[in-house]
Amino acid sequence: MSGAQTKAGADPAAEHYAGGVVDDIMVVGVGGQGVIVAAAIIADTALLHGGLEVKLSETRGMSQRGGSVSSHIRVGATVVAPSISPGEVDYLLAFEAAEGLRAAPSVVPGGVAIVTTQQIVPPLASSTDYAYPFDAIERLRDDSHRGRDAGLHVTVVDGNAIAQEVGDVRVSGVVLVGALSAHLPFAAETWHEAIARNVPARWLEMNLAAFGAGRRAGGIDAGEQT
Amino acid sequence: MDTHLMLGNEAVARGAWEAGVQVAAAYPGTPSTEIVTNLAKYDGVYAEWSTNEKVAYEVAFGAAVGGVRALTAMKSAGASVAADPLISSVYTGICGGLVVVVAGDPGMSSGMTEQDDRYFGRISGMPMLEPADSQECHDFVRLAFELSETYDVPVMVRLSIQTAHQKSIVRVGERVTVERKDPGRHTDKYCLLPRFSRPLHASLLERVARLREYAEASPLTRVEPGTGAFARIGVITSGAAFVSAREALPGATFLKLGVVHPLPLEAIKRFAATVERLFVVEELEPYLEEQILVAGLAVEGKQWFSQLGELTPVRVGRGFFAAGLDLPRWAEQKAAEDDSVIPRPPVLCTGCPHRGMATAMKKLDLDVHGDIGCYDLTSLPPVSHMHSAVEMGASIPMEQGFRRAGGSKKGSLAVIGDSTFLHSGLTGLLNAVHQRTNVTVLIQDNSITAMTGGQTNPGNERTLAGAKTKPVDLAGICKALGVEHIEIVDPYDYEACLAALKAGLAYDGPAVIITNRPCMLFPSKVGADGVYEVDEELCNACQQCMKLGCPSMHHTEAVFKKRHKVAIDASTCTGCSLCAQLCKPGAIAKAGTA
Repeated sequence: MSGAQTKAGADPAAEHYAGGVVDDIMVVGVGGQGVIVAAAIIADTALLHGGLEVKLSETRGMSQRGGSVSSHIRVGATVVAPSISPGEVDYLLAFEAAEGLRAAPSVVPGGVAIVTTQQIVPPLASSTDYAYPFDAIERLRDDSHRGRDAGLHVTVVDGNAIAQEVGDVRVSGVVLVGALSAHLPFAAETWHEAIARNVPARWLEMNLAAFGAGRRAGGIDAGEQT
Repeated sequence: MDTHLMLGNEAVARGAWEAGVQVAAAYPGTPSTEIVTNLAKYDGVYAEWSTNEKVAYEVAFGAAVGGVRALTAMKSAGASVAADPLISSVYTGICGGLVVVVAGDPGMSSGMTEQDDRYFGRISGMPMLEPADSQECHDFVRLAFELSETYDVPVMVRLSIQTAHQKSIVRVGERVTVERKDPGRHTDKYCLLPRFSRPLHASLLERVARLREYAEASPLTRVEPGTGAFARIGVITSGAAFVSAREALPGATFLKLGVVHPLPLEAIKRFAATVERLFVVEELEPYLEEQILVAGLAVEGKQWFSQLGELTPVRVGRGFFAAGLDLPRWAEQKAAEDDSVIPRPPVLCTGCPHRGMATAMKKLDLDVHGDIGCYDLTSLPPVSHMHSAVEMGASIPMEQGFRRAGGSKKGSLAVIGDSTFLHSGLTGLLNAVHQRTNVTVLIQDNSITAMTGGQTNPGNERTLAGAKTKPVDLAGICKALGVEHIEIVDPYDYEACLAALKAGLAYDGPAVIITNRPCMLFPSKVGADGVYEVDEELCNACQQCMKLGCPSMHHTEAVFKKRHKVAIDASTCTGCSLCAQLCKPGAIAKAGTA
């Protein structure tokens, strides 16, 4: 067990979850983007931390063929259902801007949405009357279109650009996981161990760099990481 | 403590391996596929992708009759395919333990129907266990092998997609070594002639009675006492519905059933006597509810909880709220999604070999009787062209019947994939030939079982275990079945597709057309063969290429006669060239050749 020991020796995760808190995390995107791997990293981090219940459920069936996909991860001292109920998502991680907008009503008032700037226009936009929402991020920030102030805390991360800087656009998912990690009470080395479990060894170094860059983008700088 | 985060299906595989399973056979089918995929990774297990679920059942059954522990797994529709041996094997019983895992799909994430598989228990007399999370998947499968041998009967483990495809923590154990039992020779046990099967039916009923006694006392029939305001509310439930009900109504008193056939009716009566108000929460049919009503108990169920779809916590919570319980969490119907955002249904991949024929069939306006495979996506926009897609193997016999009904003016044909053809298409084609019906059959051979994630089939050079094998010759089979017109065509050649369809439809006799390009994803991702690009000057925005529904093509800001011009995403184009073939003004060409 890696544990999440801070300098003072306390376990922030144990404290955080002691009162029965359940963190409900939803990852959304387009089939083929790596949503399932990202969800596995998040869930494994909570598992590796130890002493917590972790449950996960994901979109099933044919959605891997370029359809909308979502994964639910629930972490707490006790977790009953593996799926998150509508309106109860604490953290939304969106691998695609329009998918973030689609899922936004699921977030609890005051919840956090971390969304990448990447836009993938589905073929339907060219053959039907549906228009792709190129203003998805603006609409997420100003969610008055939903007729209520949801008080969504939106963090926009240019996952692709950061991934490109680190070395390869394909690690953009782990950049976003890094940004999410800034909100959760787990130690950086626990995240690193979970990443190592879920990516090929030859890509590990680049993924760890992507994670670190994402973590900084999410609000934790390198100095705080240990 | 050795704990892992496992899919329900992975936990089933682990539990079976620990129980000493030696033979596993299945045909892939969502949401059951990962069970045998994972079993194949363990040492000491022979695992195979069989040609269909009935064959898989019989392979596993044969292994169990041969004295070792065996498992077969299938989706709901697969259980219907395997129903004949499933029912008969309860008469005969087994020698080594046999576990039958059936994964249902309430909500139809990928299934064609929402069949309630619990009724297989009642039809057959097969005992049925229903786990609720990954730990129970693991534990119940281990127990199922014990019960199978103790009661001399195959045991079904029934999963809902919610259970099969969730991940939760599993405490694993070690594998036990189970020696092969002496199969002996038992004519009166395994030969279902009337003389033998009449007494076997009587002993089957007697066995169900003994299994009911087991269920009454089993630790799987478990009361979870409630606390607080809802402690006097009793909820009888099982499997995935139990999880949703516990999330929806914490503090209620639960009777959690692990054995769902035969039902422990005495335990249910005792439970009912301890509560003020009694609910049944179950997905799909009122299976438990009706049996409990027949037992003479007043119970509330389907009037509050829908018979349709997956029973998620919110749907169960809304049901309890409607029933008058004070539940602020479920008082408001909350939206899960912003419905105004453009839908994103799954689409055929860039370069998918099904696309050329789909476009050609639409061009010729043919009535298409499809089967089960990725090509069913052509029933959705932008192709939206398929007349039927009902069940495995349906295409050819339905096309035959349709022709006998008079066919259609522009022509009709059956469309089936390689794996489905080998699953249950052969007998339909043989029948059409024998009945002298002029069916036209298109076999979309992408050389893999693609839709479920790329499993091998007899068209491949390797088995699941990795052994080298002889790939079947589809054209040779059709010829042997008596088909005289067989044409193999490149599905990336649009004109050739049109010509092959026309020739097949015109032929006086059964005709088969076979495409010959592999799946883009499986067994390995097919790389790009050049990249195509659009010359925006030449593009007249005619939209012919957009009818392909290729995910690598999109509109640009440029407009001609009120329609958007088109561009190709160079990072995902695979160079199949279909768009260039459809482009009348010649605006699309291989990059660097224009």
